[in-house]
Amino acid sequence: MSKCCNTAREVILDHGELASRPRLSDAAAAAVLHPERPARRFLPEEEVMRHRLSSALWFCAPFAVLLVLWAVLIPAFEVNPRLFPNLESVVQAGLDGIKDGTLIRHIGASLMRVTVGTLLALVFAIPLGIAMGVSPAVSSFLTPPFRFFSVLAGIAWIPVASLWFGYGFGAITFVIFNAVFFIVTYNTLLGVSTIPMQVRHAAASLGAGKWAMLTEVLLPGALPNIVTGIRTGLGFAWRGLIAAEMIATNVGLGYMLFVARDFYKTEVIVLGMIVIGVLWLLLDRLLLAPIERATSERWGLVQRA
Amino acid sequence: MTTLFLQAWSHYLRLTTRWPSIGTLVPFVPLVVAWWVVTELQVFPRAFLPGPAEVVRSFVSLVYTGVLPEYLQDSMVRLAVGSFWGIVLGIPLGILVGLSQRAHKALWPVLLFFQAIGDIAWLPILVIWFGYGLTTMTVVIVYTVIFPVVLNTVLGVRSIPITLHRAALSLGASRTRMLWEVVLPGALPNIMTGLRNGLGYGWRALIATEIIVGTSGIGFLMFDARRAGSVVEILLGMIILGILWYIVDSWILAPIERATGQRWGLVTK
Amino acid sequence: MKSLTIRNLSKTYFDVHAGTNVTAVHDISLEVPAGEFVSVVGPSGCGKTTLLNMIAGFLPHTGGEILVGGKPVKGPGPDRGVVFQSFALFPWRTVLDNVAFGPKMRGVGRAEREKIAHEYLALAKLSEAAGRYPNELSGGMQQRVGVVRALANEPDVLLMDEPFASVDAQTRMTLQEELTRIWEQKRPTVIFITHDVPEAVFLGNRVVALSKGRVLEEIAVDLPRPRVWDDLNEDDRFKALSGRVLQLVRSA
Repeated sequence: MSKCCNTAREVILDHGELASRPRLSDAAAAAVLHPERPARRFLPEEEVMRHRLSSALWFCAPFAVLLVLWAVLIPAFEVNPRLFPNLESVVQAGLDGIKDGTLIRHIGASLMRVTVGTLLALVFAIPLGIAMGVSPAVSSFLTPPFRFFSVLAGIAWIPVASLWFGYGFGAITFVIFNAVFFIVTYNTLLGVSTIPMQVRHAAASLGAGKWAMLTEVLLPGALPNIVTGIRTGLGFAWRGLIAAEMIATNVGLGYMLFVARDFYKTEVIVLGMIVIGVLWLLLDRLLLAPIERATSERWGLVQRA
Repeated sequence: MTTLFLQAWSHYLRLTTRWPSIGTLVPFVPLVVAWWVVTELQVFPRAFLPGPAEVVRSFVSLVYTGVLPEYLQDSMVRLAVGSFWGIVLGIPLGILVGLSQRAHKALWPVLLFFQAIGDIAWLPILVIWFGYGLTTMTVVIVYTVIFPVVLNTVLGVRSIPITLHRAALSLGASRTRMLWEVVLPGALPNIMTGLRNGLGYGWRALIATEIIVGTSGIGFLMFDARRAGSVVEILLGMIILGILWYIVDSWILAPIERATGQRWGLVTK
Repeated sequence: MKSLTIRNLSKTYFDVHAGTNVTAVHDISLEVPAGEFVSVVGPSGCGKTTLLNMIAGFLPHTGGEILVGGKPVKGPGPDRGVVFQSFALFPWRTVLDNVAFGPKMRGVGRAEREKIAHEYLALAKLSEAAGRYPNELSGGMQQRVGVVRALANEPDVLLMDEPFASVDAQTRMTLQEELTRIWEQKRPTVIFITHDVPEAVFLGNRVVALSKGRVLEEIAVDLPRPRVWDDLNEDDRFKALSGRVLQLVRSA
């Protein structure tokens, strides 16, 4: 059982999630270099803030370099604007898009679909995952189908979605729902089934009733896996969103990109790409990764996987 | 009644321990049966949700006309080519970034950002540059595959305990030998994970590209069927995708990953 | 604290992996008066953990009865506290919150239950660890938390399932002495399962030797308390008792 679950978890691991792992290796390296020092250090508040600020600055530094290169090299090589825009035109396109509201509308539409699809998926996925995960027999039986459907996450559903729901909000939200639903259900199932039986027994012998068991044991115990699932699922959902918007709607970031291609408006395309990248980066690193860190690493559960 | 059930369950469990594939296949049976029942009862109009029989018929006819094998081959070739380049470029890059603090500081944020943009968002500009052909598709796949490979390689390299590096040095290994004898084997389990993830993403990127701009391949099969309003081929395409990937992942990639990681007792996730 | 009575207890179940019926426990009877410390010792597979799990209510019994304070038991509950070999602390709650868990389930208010938790942590000399998370503590400290967590809920009977088996030898000796000290203060009714014979003799008023699901013999341990390893290691009666129990267990 654990063999199947370990490899299954690997399939679900998203490269975005792994990107946060270097912290673990830093700690591991520190533990190796200084075996007497405990691997976790508790730094005072301000040192933590200074550390965060300086790492944020270091993070932005390579982009500053890239921006400079961009501003200088494109004009220098006289690159055809139909092939690649220069920095100014992209900035200009951004400003225009904000002024006349089109950019805002596109971003809004995309974010709205992702939010609705994700929330809907979570409402169904988490309870289902917990219900399935509680019984070892049920969870090992249902694991293969859920793995199978996780593979189809997102993009593969676009053709079906557009035939079933037509163009627009419904089809795209369906794609997002699928991307998130299967992966989160599967990860929740995994998370619940790996809570040691003795911990569940301990709660029972301390007087926990069904509701308390759910809220005090099953949910917190499965939370790291759930968060990983959400993060992975959102990654697929975001990509599926862009793809779906290219062919199944008339508003949204994907649409914006696709339409601009027809007119060779590369500055809009590049603007769109940057917006997509920045949005995902913000969402993932400022929202999802900290939540994941806060749950798994704080509770020492990362080692469990 | 419960004893009968327990007996049956016991037989099933023992069968699956001898032949794990049974454990993988049996759970799908109720699913297919449920599918069949739902279509028979016409819960949704037949045009919306065709039943298993129609999908199988379509499968047989597409194989017979040679369309399916050709599409399959196209898709697999593209995936193979793109993945090959993704791996060949990704592993060295990953090792470099993993080993060099400076390279890490300079490139890591950039890698994360470009990974965040995602493969699909590159399609419009790639189509402008290279048109609707093989190059566009290959570039997308390489782009998609390279990130998990690089990121996991970096993770693998950085999680090699420093004592191993020191041991090698104190036994007289040169920098290049170190690469071959310590860094690569040490990072190998994570590299395998990266390969596996990368192929998974590459596969999806391939389908997406075929759906959006393709001229042949499984994704195109689905795209074309959508244009014709025929759900049957779309479902067929999805099932083939799922099965194919499941087979490749569970029976080829996962065992390789397990064989390296577990054999050497080094599973670092 | 209440008494524990086990009459003709047996456990037979259908093993799905073997495909046959298996009897883990054959007709065990045991009387434990309130406040007594009983060690149950036996080799692996003798059924001692199954016995404990049945008393705790994690496993249903197929024959006989289990009475706590004269009343039959049904399923797990706060009247039978359990200390687990794997500690089973809730990793997502601080040490303090772990110990306060039982009272929380009973509906005790936050201030009150934290006071109770602090009291019991002080009893185990773990007050400074109150705000830490379990993964930040050593194995020995985690198990001490496990013990006081069960005690803080003031169960009628305390069941301990090889609690010190996952801890290194030195820490184990310290924990055993700690346990007797705490026991003498609170005098809970204890069933202590172990495969370690000297540990069973050191801790208990009575040692029950189990083998293949049956009771071999019950041996009274009349050594004086407080018990300390430095003394007992030299004590002839301790050595004699240990030797006898060991012989019993090994010959079965």
